[in-house]
Amino acid sequence: MISALMDGVVLGLQYGLLGVGLTLIYGLAGVINLAHGQVAVMGAIVVSLAMEADVPAVPAILIGLAAAAVFMLLVDATLMRAVYRQEGESRILLGLLIMLGVGFVIDGVLEWRYPIQQLGLRIGGEPIPILGVPMSTGSLLATAVTVVIGLVLVVFFRSTALGRGVRSVIQDEQGAMLVGIDPARVRTFVFGLSGLLAALVAVTRAMTGPVGVSSTISFTILALIVAVVGGLGSVSGAFAAGVLLGVVDRLSSFYIGTYVTTIILLLCAAITIVARPAGLFGRSH
Amino acid sequence: MATSTGTSKPADSAGLIAVNGPVETFGPIVVAVALLALLPLWFSDSGSMMGVITEGVVFGSYVIAFNIIFGSTGQLFLCIGALAGLGGFGSAILADRVDLPMIVAMVVAAAMAGLVGGVLSWVSVKRGLDTIFIGIVTLAFSLSFENFVLGRRDLTGGETGTFVDAGSDTVLRDRVPSYYVFLALLAVFLVLFRLLQRSRIGWAFRALRDDQLAAELSGVDVAWHRIFAGVVGSTMLGFTGALVAHSGRGFVGPSTFAFGEVDVRVLVMLALGGIGTLLGPVLGSALITMIDELLIDYAQLRLVFYGVILIALFLRFRHGLIPALTGFARRLLRRSD
Repeated sequence: MISALMDGVVLGLQYGLLGVGLTLIYGLAGVINLAHGQVAVMGAIVVSLAMEADVPAVPAILIGLAAAAVFMLLVDATLMRAVYRQEGESRILLGLLIMLGVGFVIDGVLEWRYPIQQLGLRIGGEPIPILGVPMSTGSLLATAVTVVIGLVLVVFFRSTALGRGVRSVIQDEQGAMLVGIDPARVRTFVFGLSGLLAALVAVTRAMTGPVGVSSTISFTILALIVAVVGGLGSVSGAFAAGVLLGVVDRLSSFYIGTYVTTIILLLCAAITIVARPAGLFGRSH
Repeated sequence: MATSTGTSKPADSAGLIAVNGPVETFGPIVVAVALLALLPLWFSDSGSMMGVITEGVVFGSYVIAFNIIFGSTGQLFLCIGALAGLGGFGSAILADRVDLPMIVAMVVAAAMAGLVGGVLSWVSVKRGLDTIFIGIVTLAFSLSFENFVLGRRDLTGGETGTFVDAGSDTVLRDRVPSYYVFLALLAVFLVLFRLLQRSRIGWAFRALRDDQLAAELSGVDVAWHRIFAGVVGSTMLGFTGALVAHSGRGFVGPSTFAFGEVDVRVLVMLALGGIGTLLGPVLGSALITMIDELLIDYAQLRLVFYGVILIALFLRFRHGLIPALTGFARRLLRRSD
């Protein structure tokens, strides 16, 4: 029970980070990135390819993160141009469909070239007991990385000029323009950041178990559910929702069975939409 | 619908045909179905080709059902395969395990799919944020369904799938007759779509698609119409899936209704043929089935190919082939005057 709870928190922090990348793009560009999980796994595959080419782990990870970030920058600079020209509902729908297509392309390429390629980062060392539960060094390191990045993000959004710029654009695009912030540049920055965060989650997941092509769609859907429950556009909400859903995930697969976990997570999202469409932790209008 | 203005005839303002006679209404359907009915003349010798064209017709039915949901009311249901699978697995389980007669099992399973589709639609429509939430909720439902199929091995056969007994003593297991059964279903769906298009509901669909706010102001209950489309389309998907489960080899497995097999192709077929049009689904499914057959040696690249087509269509050719072709035909006619 306690070990399921602890696992849930470990998993949940990563879910949170996964949701942050998605929620930022939605908040800034009005695009629901249905290829989020695909970009994440693509980053992980790049890391594993680099490691096979005898690149040491840390530089290999940096290469993978950069690859995912560059990919998202390219998407922003090319395909998304047509989306940004649209307004309202049709903009959201077009963004959704284009990213769905991008997801199919990534999935297709990965299944074609690297169907069995997986990233597994085995972190050595004995399990360390925490609250009486032995936790593997892999999941502790994954948690540490996630928490540090989460804190960096919070500080970044609170105290740096660029971070405040991003938040101001989420809140009020026209107001931000008036004080000299260019929404297009902020958007480009966030696309890159989102790709980087997505790949980072795939890398930390690889510290506890292998990550390969089969994970793409479930990563995307988890990110979507976290973003909905946390409130689309809210960074801290995504983390809180991630932890909550991570715990729900572990407990339900511990007590009932793995196959119902997604059904329960879907129910959480549905209940949130019906009861509090702005998200459990988002501000309602 | 709550309000009725009485005198306003459901004018076919956006329709392609100006006259509402029976020939203009049902003529295109008769021609399309008649052409498809001729196909077994060439292919009845080849088991694999009969399989290909039967699958093409099945997908035609999926696309028409999805067209009612997405084309008419703009709800991007990303759970086409899951709803069909609910009908397929549901009907197989009800007929084989619960011993319901096959027809009853199919109807009950289709109704289940309709109910689920209605609930998904209701959840997303409720707060007027449907475009965002419908994609998320239905995609999550797809994954839930896939995990359920893999997890409840005892009911669904898990990864290896299961054979369906019900239907094994019917014509559904014979190559040529089962093709005609699916063609008949396609014809019924086309007629249903046409009747819906020409009714007050079809008028409301066009109004809410063109300008949701204006539709709401003129008394169209937008939420009701969206949920109605969700229920009708999902029931059609469920029924088609049920028929698939009982026909052919009588086999259902996790890939029969998988997202990557069904949803991807249906989306591409509809976008290519023409979203919201009567014959777009037929043309789109015919073309994609043919292209698939031509590219059979590059089957691994199929998903990449679909993704590229989807992006290209929505960026550059959003209305699809049918509107382009009718526009072209109209220009030709005008020139010959």
